[in-house]
Amino acid sequence: MPSALSRSLRSPRVLIALGMILCILLCAIFAGRIAPNDPSDQNLLAILAPPAWIDGGDPAYPLGTDSLGRCVLSRLIYGARTAMLVAFFASLGAMIIGSILAHISGYFGGTTDWIIGRLVDIWMSFPPVILSLILMVGLGVGLDRVILAIILVDWTRFCRVLRSEVLIVTRHDYVSAARLLGFTHWQAIAREVLPATLPLLITLVSLEMAIAVIVEAILSFVGLGVGADQAAWGQMIADARQYVYQSPWNLLLPAIAIFLTVAAFNLLGDGLRRTLDVRLAESGR
Amino acid sequence: MIGIVGKLIARRLVTAVPILLAVSVLLFCVLRALPVDPAAMSLPPSATLEEIEAKRHEMGLDRPLPEQYLIWLVDALHGDFGRSIQFRRDSGSLVATTLPATIQLALAAMVIAAILGIGGGLLMFRVRGTVLEPLTDLVSILLLSIPEFLWGLILLFVFGVMLHLLPFTGQVAPDLPAPRITGFLLIDSLLSGRLDIFLSACQHLILPAVALGLAFSPTIMRVLRSSLFDVYHEDYIQQARLRGLSEGHILIKHAFKNASLPTLTLAGVQFGILFSGTLLVEVIYSYPGMGNLMVDAVRNADLPLIQTIGLTYCVVVLMINTVIDSLYVVLNPKLRVR
Amino acid sequence: MTVFALQAKDIVVSAQIDGNVVPAIRGLSFDLPPGKILGLVGESGAGKSMIGRAIAQLLPSGFEITAGSLVFEGEDLLQMPAARRRALLGRAIAFIPQQPMTALNPVMMIGAQFDEHLARLGEEGREKRRERAVAALTAARLPQAGDLLRQYPHQLSGGMCQRVLIAFAFSSNPRLVIADEPTTALDVTIHPQILRLVAEMQREHATAVIFITHDLRLAAQLCDEVVVMYAGRAIESGPARSILSKPAHPYTRCLQLANPSLREERQALYVMPDQMPSLRQLKGMTGCHFAPRCPLVTVECRQAEPPNVAVAANHNVACIHAAGVPNIGTTEAAPVAPKTSARIVLQVEKLQKHYSVGGGLFGGAQKFEAVKEASFSIAENEFVALVGQSGSGKSTIAKLLVGLEQPTGGQILLNGDDLTDRSERTRARRAVRLQMVFQDPQSALNPRRRIASIVTQAMEAGSRHASWDKRLARTRELLAEVGLSTDIGPRLPGQLSGGQRQRVNIARALCNIPKILVADEIVSGLDVSIQAQLLALLARLRAELGFGMLFISHDLSVVRHLCSRVLVMYRGEIVEQGPTDTVFSNPQHPHTRALVSSVPPDDPLAPWPALNPVVATGEPVSA
Repeated sequence: MPSALSRSLRSPRVLIALGMILCILLCAIFAGRIAPNDPSDQNLLAILAPPAWIDGGDPAYPLGTDSLGRCVLSRLIYGARTAMLVAFFASLGAMIIGSILAHISGYFGGTTDWIIGRLVDIWMSFPPVILSLILMVGLGVGLDRVILAIILVDWTRFCRVLRSEVLIVTRHDYVSAARLLGFTHWQAIAREVLPATLPLLITLVSLEMAIAVIVEAILSFVGLGVGADQAAWGQMIADARQYVYQSPWNLLLPAIAIFLTVAAFNLLGDGLRRTLDVRLAESGR
Repeated sequence: MIGIVGKLIARRLVTAVPILLAVSVLLFCVLRALPVDPAAMSLPPSATLEEIEAKRHEMGLDRPLPEQYLIWLVDALHGDFGRSIQFRRDSGSLVATTLPATIQLALAAMVIAAILGIGGGLLMFRVRGTVLEPLTDLVSILLLSIPEFLWGLILLFVFGVMLHLLPFTGQVAPDLPAPRITGFLLIDSLLSGRLDIFLSACQHLILPAVALGLAFSPTIMRVLRSSLFDVYHEDYIQQARLRGLSEGHILIKHAFKNASLPTLTLAGVQFGILFSGTLLVEVIYSYPGMGNLMVDAVRNADLPLIQTIGLTYCVVVLMINTVIDSLYVVLNPKLRVR
Repeated sequence: MTVFALQAKDIVVSAQIDGNVVPAIRGLSFDLPPGKILGLVGESGAGKSMIGRAIAQLLPSGFEITAGSLVFEGEDLLQMPAARRRALLGRAIAFIPQQPMTALNPVMMIGAQFDEHLARLGEEGREKRRERAVAALTAARLPQAGDLLRQYPHQLSGGMCQRVLIAFAFSSNPRLVIADEPTTALDVTIHPQILRLVAEMQREHATAVIFITHDLRLAAQLCDEVVVMYAGRAIESGPARSILSKPAHPYTRCLQLANPSLREERQALYVMPDQMPSLRQLKGMTGCHFAPRCPLVTVECRQAEPPNVAVAANHNVACIHAAGVPNIGTTEAAPVAPKTSARIVLQVEKLQKHYSVGGGLFGGAQKFEAVKEASFSIAENEFVALVGQSGSGKSTIAKLLVGLEQPTGGQILLNGDDLTDRSERTRARRAVRLQMVFQDPQSALNPRRRIASIVTQAMEAGSRHASWDKRLARTRELLAEVGLSTDIGPRLPGQLSGGQRQRVNIARALCNIPKILVADEIVSGLDVSIQAQLLALLARLRAELGFGMLFISHDLSVVRHLCSRVLVMYRGEIVEQGPTDTVFSNPQHPHTRALVSSVPPDDPLAPWPALNPVVATGEPVSA
């Protein structure tokens, strides 16, 4: 593992991606210090102001204001906090549920595998966006609800992808050898299977974070996201849509924010996949 | 072969039934767990408590949950999917009106995604080993990071608002009638002999379909490329070279067919996701499909409608999966013959 | 002047390793007359397969031919434009691959692939091509060729696939065929048939053949000339039978002596130390590359690479001590089977394993009997062999013994305890007394664990947690037992060679000093010299530690050398059992007879009936 880690840190993709994520993370953590204004502060006298460098702009609002006079830059920064919170917790939750079930399913096989497999099938026959919408209707708006909804929808993807990997690893003789040497099932899973599936797990977590950010943005866009009191990029886009002629920046900036965050996670996931998967790294794909 | 495909479809139908039942139960429970009261919502705000209670009784909301579900099920099997609270019409007919538009959009988008995806994948594979390879790889990852609603907004903004090239609202120009024969506007306009409607419908379809197609093509590109990579490491490709076949011949006749199998599986999964992606695109382009209907329903907590639309999405995705699996069986001889 | 089919002169293939240029093949020269078979013999890594790829100019990335000429019927292949060379492939030059099952496109019918091949050869007309395909397949002794055309590769057995590929190769009437270990991936009883087919087709079409193999005895039987390769150099070349009956290079002789014999008097195997230098190690070496392992090594050997010397007509050798070769022999005495007491340690009674295969939701499952009522016993310190082909059930018996599968009937008694119940106590007890050494060291060792952690893995199990110090001490002991140095401890399996990994595998199984070891094909897939090392190791370990073993293998010579008793399995049943010498010298069951006759004779001058069946008249019959 250590060698794989050092290999990862030498990959340019991983480094760039980590850099980007770090920036966004810093915005998220230190939002209070960095943001010039309160994101929910409405100034109805200065609505739809353009960014400061354009005529009509106000230096107090560096990137302009939205239709309710709120500072776009501050909302972007606080939106980063929303996005990162969702990304982190949702993917963690989905990963925990999905990987536990995947390992049990793939390792034990037989009836257990069949039951979990059917459960995943049923769950996945639902298009994810639709399911998360419906769950949000059921759960109500709010940051924790969004995280819960994403966990409930996406654990299946983790489970399915990891299960194939668990199946492959379990077929290796060293897992059988461990059992023969006296390992209990749980010891075998923890010490022989898990270290082998860990690279894929990490990659999937990274990709899941990208998806979580997108889903959060979609839910906020539709109006079923974290709620109107919190800044969220999807909401900013929904607002800005109506005033796109007057203030195209309000649409563009949160879109760019979403794009950069998602791209960073995708890049990280791809970079990790190349460096952590020994087979890939060797064949140079 | 028809026998095997037929058996597969039959098996699928058999397993689809419990899946659909389970899904409908899931939906039912989730929706009934809402803090909203459909009875109160279907009455004017001035309604008294007794009137609300009466309405509740009328809607059957005071009965135990399993009984409510069975009532719904029996009704559904007769084609009655409950009345939409907002529109005061049968949900089933509402869905039937909007479904064709969504299918039209999804199919158009899939074709675009397939063309871009296969083309892009082949291109990415061609440049392997050259300087362009990491570049195309990076570009594909960046493209992957733009979700469909962002594409929708970008295209709307650039081609619709700024350049005024293409229309971005609705399914057809507002002054033109929309004939309804099959429900698919493109087909209906041709059947009615109205080429102008057909052209208008096509124009209106371009931006949303391209937005959706662009969003889903990078995944197809990447899977095709990695499948081709995998295939090229196989023994039989080397053997084909040793028999003197040219690289071009090998790529098209041998590699592509083998690489298309995993790509097809993925494309199938993607189509399911693409189909649900139509929702956002429809919202952005005010396209009168099921997605728009769903968003309305969700915003207004119109439970019967949500339930019906949710089930419809499920049914379509299951059908798509069955078609893809059948296609896979047809293409992969190892699955066919014992 | 004879125009040779292929003439190689001073070929040098260079490889890019870690930024340096290393000659993977150095100064290779041979002449192949038309219609003759040339054997390229060597262990893995010697460079023999590289030649085949060099001829096709399809070398792996990082490798290229940097010097020499390869003249095919008057034209130098290396100077040819690529298009012209590609035109020759599949037509005048054909290949028979090593892995027949994966050498054909799995999604195309055999007929379609043949059609494509014949179309390229210029045959016009679908019907004509089909007829030609049927003719070619029939010539390869494939029944119902017409139906075969409509089948897919995965529907054919390995042997049938190989026949199809041989048909492909000879369908264009080639002048040169390169066969790269065509029988290695196939079951042993199929070997003679395939070799016979190749020999026949070669005679019929008067094709020159380059036959690449690692098996000396096989080469002696099949080939006219032989080139022995070691570390990228041809160290001996000449007529097959004279090289192998009177080898002039120490390596050839040592290799011969490292091969266990099936029929001759049992002797100790010659164990060459270490292994053939890898490409990385070649870089810094001066002098003869075999010097580190050579019994005749002197100071001059390390100064410069020995030149090619002629020891007889047409027989060249690259050694300055060729004269001393006949004196090489093993100094050890023949292995003595230790006194085995009559005490039975493992008793297997009527062991059965059925599987339900197929069937879906509506029943229709078939019963597949993997093991049908097997009964045998292993006494203290006894090595018993289990031989059979793939699918005979021997791996299933191994899994049943160690508990990876549950039997559907019968009993397994270890020192009187019944192992067939599934309780945890039984499992724990079994873990101590009965262990398994797995076949594939790639898959048997966790690539993320360090060697020290692997060999003492048994001490991690269950609730007993040995301290790290105790484990380190035990690691040192175990590694010393299996002949590995302790500095291997902190390394990962990926950094070890195949032979070293297999030793680690054995060490791990010995951690708790079991009474019985089940060894599932543990030396298959290893080079002969490494195999000899491991066999010697096993004999030594038995003498020191004392344990019985069920040795599963398909290689009869190895079995005869190591084990005192043998069980022959065929389609799930033990069809014959008894002392090794008796069973092999006088096999009773037809399957045993087939197995025994599939092994080429040790004496290169003796005839091999399976390859050239001789009828009563004494004339060789081409069957």
